[in-house]
Amino acid sequence: MEFEFLVDKELRKIVLEKKEGGYCIAYGENQVTADIQSISPHVLSLMIDGRSYLVYIARDKEKKYIFIDGQQFIVQEPGRETKSFHAGEEKAQEGTLLITAPMPGKVIKIHVVEQQEVRKNQTLAIVEAMKMENDIKSSVEGFVKKIFVSVGELVDSEKPLIELETKK
Amino acid sequence: MFKKILIANRGEIAVRVIKACREMGISTVAVYSDVDRKSLHVQMADEAVPIGPAPAIESYLNMDRIIAAARATGAEAIHPGYGFLAENSDFARRLEKEKVVFIGPNSKALELVGDKVRARQTMDKAGVPIIPGMNSIPKDISEYEAAAKKLGYPVMIKASAGGGGKGMRIVCSEQELRPGLEAGRREAKSAFGDESVYLEKYIEEPRHVEFQVLADNYGNTVHLFERECSIQRRHQKIVEESPSQALDPTLRTKMGETAKKVVRAAGYNNAGTVEFLLDKNKNFFFLEVNARLQVEHPVTEFCTGVDLVRQQIRIAAGEKLSFSQKDLEQRGHALECRIYAEDATKNFLPSSGKILFLKEPKGPGVRHDCGVYSGWEVPIYYDPILAKLIVWAEDRDAACDRMLAALNDYAILGISTSISFLKDIINHPEFRAGRTNTGFIKNHFENWGEKEKSEDKLRLALAAAAFDSINSGPSGKKVVGGTQKATVSPWQTLGHWRLGEGR
Repeated sequence: MEFEFLVDKELRKIVLEKKEGGYCIAYGENQVTADIQSISPHVLSLMIDGRSYLVYIARDKEKKYIFIDGQQFIVQEPGRETKSFHAGEEKAQEGTLLITAPMPGKVIKIHVVEQQEVRKNQTLAIVEAMKMENDIKSSVEGFVKKIFVSVGELVDSEKPLIELETKK
Repeated sequence: MFKKILIANRGEIAVRVIKACREMGISTVAVYSDVDRKSLHVQMADEAVPIGPAPAIESYLNMDRIIAAARATGAEAIHPGYGFLAENSDFARRLEKEKVVFIGPNSKALELVGDKVRARQTMDKAGVPIIPGMNSIPKDISEYEAAAKKLGYPVMIKASAGGGGKGMRIVCSEQELRPGLEAGRREAKSAFGDESVYLEKYIEEPRHVEFQVLADNYGNTVHLFERECSIQRRHQKIVEESPSQALDPTLRTKMGETAKKVVRAAGYNNAGTVEFLLDKNKNFFFLEVNARLQVEHPVTEFCTGVDLVRQQIRIAAGEKLSFSQKDLEQRGHALECRIYAEDATKNFLPSSGKILFLKEPKGPGVRHDCGVYSGWEVPIYYDPILAKLIVWAEDRDAACDRMLAALNDYAILGISTSISFLKDIINHPEFRAGRTNTGFIKNHFENWGEKEKSEDKLRLALAAAAFDSINSGPSGKKVVGGTQKATVSPWQTLGHWRLGEGR
């Protein structure tokens, strides 16, 4: 069976076929035979050419978190990934930028008002999470088009905070 | 000895104290906020009392509710852990009045050292070297401006009631001073309930070296050697070790004796830590007394063999120290890594969410002080520390190797943690050489990104994901049904699912 997964935004293909004595794994040019055993709901044991690998796995909606020998991979099923952009980053839309909360927290200060002109790197708002204050900065020069939140409001990660209009 | 102790804290430190109590045959009372009902400390304690809504100011900082909980459960003593009410002299004073023992220093000493400004004055008088800076809290912002100008930028804003980096900011110019003071005050207010901040000269790239002390109620004082905690980000320690690579036996003795002098000058009892900054020329300055059990206390426990929580409880119960300075020696080398819920690639922003799976590292010389578990949701309201990984080995190199192996064997899935960042710190040639100072992260880890992952492991991860998809079914539900045998192997599951082939 062929599988497609998204890892770090890149689409990866792998073929896993059951055969005598285990599974055939085909990835790129390589093809190996693996003995895969499920140890518990979160643990797999893989044996390939006598080498033993312990794999930890956890699932959350469309994501699988996989840990092998000190490295963690977040593997997503394509097409099922939630439409999202990177937390804290802005999404360009015809000269406007949406500033979103980088993590869940509480808005404790808003430094700007609507229509105000802002510089690059100017602090627009402060969001507090886990006792630490985090400055939300403008990455562009422009104007504040709309403010979506108020002081004291609890915000979720990726919640729109402020919309900016970029200077042309 | 006490029969019952209330722990006025949460997370890994509450768990640590509960464990010491269990060993000593003392029953325990946990307190918890609305979002902590399922927290580990609540599960582990013998009794648990709800104390209010999630924000700390309404729960873990609410003295009335905590004292009422102690009254209601008949706890004779309260262990405050670190943070929250640990260094609050009002709390200690109220407990003294209520005849509940505060497991920590007496309220007078606590008040003195907790007021960083008064502590500076006292230590200056006692002949202890201090960092140049303000010796009082000004009312007006202009006084800060004048003091900063006199000290010369950069200066450091510090919370008078502070600790743990909260409220602390470096200010490099006059323009940054006012916003820095405002932010520092807010952070201090939210973390300690006191917004006083002061300025100190910023000493560039010092080492942070601190001495653990124990003092009983009868004037017996010992130090348990140093910890070096130079590896910091956002003024918060992330890696600590003992012994420090910067001290020789002469300097160690001198600083240790100075630490004892600080304790005596403050009339201090119970466990405490005297923090020093050590500059490039090996001059040391008194920074502050941390009047509590420190996050990094296990490092000292490994090197001296002394259980500091047990000692705290014994001292609070009125027992004498059972050993003297000459009985204490440093053995081997210990390292601690703090495991935070944070994203090192995004300026260490705290991350929250559900821990889908936790695999704790284990092995000889490995200790994991942990406040979380698989399936637990990390709340946004508190300090993002999840756990601490501490190792001990015969020497520093072996301790570093052991730490790396343990970090490699440590999986927390579902949220971002500092684990891979910590691995790169321990692996860094400058760290391995012992050339550490408080600028280490800034100098060597600016714009840090996780290393390219190996193609080999990626292939295995994809294979595991594919295997998992087959065995979990497309809807995420297990295909394994009730008709299967009790011991279901993945082969059977697979065969069952792919009917066309298996027949």
